[in-house]
Amino acid sequence: MAVLRELVVFPSKCFRGVRSFFFSTPLSQNGSLKLNESVSKDGHALDFEQSDTKKISKAMKSYMERAKIHDNFIKQQLHEYNIGKRHLANMMGKDPEFFTQEDVDEAISYLFPSGLYDPRARPMMKHPDEIYPKRKAAEFDVNGRPYHSLFYTSKPNYYTLMHDLAVKFKQLDRHEDKIISRGIQDQKPTELFLFGSEWIPKQKIENVLLESLTDAQYANLIKTFERFSQHPYSAIEKNFIMQFRRQLAAQVEIQQVPELMRDESGRPYMTYNARRKTSNATVKVTGQGTGVISINGTDIHFFQREQDKKQIIFPLQFSDMLGKVDVAATVDGIGTSAQSGAIRLGISMCLRSFVNAETIERMRLAGLLSFDPRTRERKKPGQAGAREKFTWKKR
Amino acid sequence: MSLSGVLRKLPNFNAIHSHLNFLGRIARQQPYSMYQPFVKEPTYNIEKLKELIESGEAKKREFVPVKAAKSDHNVSVFHDELTSKFINMVMEKGHKEIATKLVETAYMKIKQMQLAKYYKATTDEERAEIELNPIVIFHKALENCKPVLQLTPIKRGGATYQVPIPIKENRARFLAMKWMILESREKERKVHFPERLAYELLDAFNNTGKVVKRKQDLHKQCETNRAYAHYRWG
Repeated sequence: MAVLRELVVFPSKCFRGVRSFFFSTPLSQNGSLKLNESVSKDGHALDFEQSDTKKISKAMKSYMERAKIHDNFIKQQLHEYNIGKRHLANMMGKDPEFFTQEDVDEAISYLFPSGLYDPRARPMMKHPDEIYPKRKAAEFDVNGRPYHSLFYTSKPNYYTLMHDLAVKFKQLDRHEDKIISRGIQDQKPTELFLFGSEWIPKQKIENVLLESLTDAQYANLIKTFERFSQHPYSAIEKNFIMQFRRQLAAQVEIQQVPELMRDESGRPYMTYNARRKTSNATVKVTGQGTGVISINGTDIHFFQREQDKKQIIFPLQFSDMLGKVDVAATVDGIGTSAQSGAIRLGISMCLRSFVNAETIERMRLAGLLSFDPRTRERKKPGQAGAREKFTWKKR
Repeated sequence: MSLSGVLRKLPNFNAIHSHLNFLGRIARQQPYSMYQPFVKEPTYNIEKLKELIESGEAKKREFVPVKAAKSDHNVSVFHDELTSKFINMVMEKGHKEIATKLVETAYMKIKQMQLAKYYKATTDEERAEIELNPIVIFHKALENCKPVLQLTPIKRGGATYQVPIPIKENRARFLAMKWMILESREKERKVHFPERLAYELLDAFNNTGKVVKRKQDLHKQCETNRAYAHYRWG
């Protein structure tokens, strides 16, 4: 309150936007005296202050009411969800205590079968947290003072994260300086292995921070993270960094190599159905062979072009199985390239069961185990073809 | 194979009048590919693969999906990457078979001409000098045709100057191949493309001929425009 006394002397312009009660009283000599008087007399709230706190708390009141209503609503939904789960368990004849979300999904799809295409349109029963978007808790107190120091940036959580990164960066620098001063320079710091994961997308970060970001802000955040993770001692903050990274699909399907089957004569074999464009190929590779290749009944000369024949031999030569296995393939569809590509993929996938893990990885790096997704590009309206445009006329 | 992680969703095309604009934006930001941006190119060359694995680069690619191998990739002894590129450049309207035939006929022609010289030679020294492998001749010829600088138009004060700038490796290779093909496609069609190509390649191998001359003309122009070189930096 001592501060107030001094400030009252200055013209009203300085206090714009700070507190409304500076405007409510006329800034006359009498007024200032009055103020001083009321301050000096007693410590408790002044008349005009009371009326203004009432104004503020009305806004706060409605805010608090809305927050309460929402909280109650979520509680109600949670209660209903739990009850509903128990009912479902009873209906399905399962134990209500150990009824998981997967069981719930199964029950719902059984009891409410839907022919709708989009899974999101079908009936579902999930935990309210998954359905109703999370809101931030009250960001300011009864007097309107925000809790967070960065509240007026309108994205306090985002800027806090950025500040945290900066602080951690400085900490890592200090750590590095310490190590250098101790003379342990030769020790190579453990490298942070980030391959196999990528930065979580914008949507996910928005869900975590409960704030919407612009593309530029997201890009800035990722740039900062990249710079941070390139610090030689960033491995210390591995847990913090991995919170913001998601694992890439480790090529699990390729690693799940199927076991070899045995035919009547005891020879090992493997089959695979491969596709390329509109061609489908069913390929059977039999071990303990002499290199016999049969395509739709005929030998490799089913294909007239050198290129197609080379494609069939490519995976066999690459994995050194050229004269060691027999290949029997049936293929349909239009286009020799598509047919030979499909058979090549089929042979490669079958050969996985015959070769060791190292060779499988080499085949994968050579692109032999990847499905070729390229298809004919569609024609667009307003153009003659996929890319060809109509004749451009200046006028 | 999980396709959903590897493929990208195609953009929607709405109004016709904003369509070209939309495509333009897409072209600048993302290439129109069926693969996601992080999918890596395949490496089928056995030596390069060995290098990758030994250097430890391959470990970093463990979690990165790889694109499918192309139709002209293979590990045959007769396979040459540069020749594949060249065949693609010779090809018109997607007729790969015809382009392959033309280039292979050219190679055969080169082999025949060099063999003729070889059998005509009398001493061992002469025979040692004659190169018989058309692929080696092709590589050397391209090397001799690659320019070192190129001209780029830069506008300064209303006038457009041709400024010499350093050239990238890919661009130099492209120009060499392009010139070679253009010179082999001459107006009078009495001598067909494969024969002309064979003659041009042999000339370029000996550092003579039209294509090498074209390269040297470009170098001369760069030399005369030396004064404008600083315009590159404004």
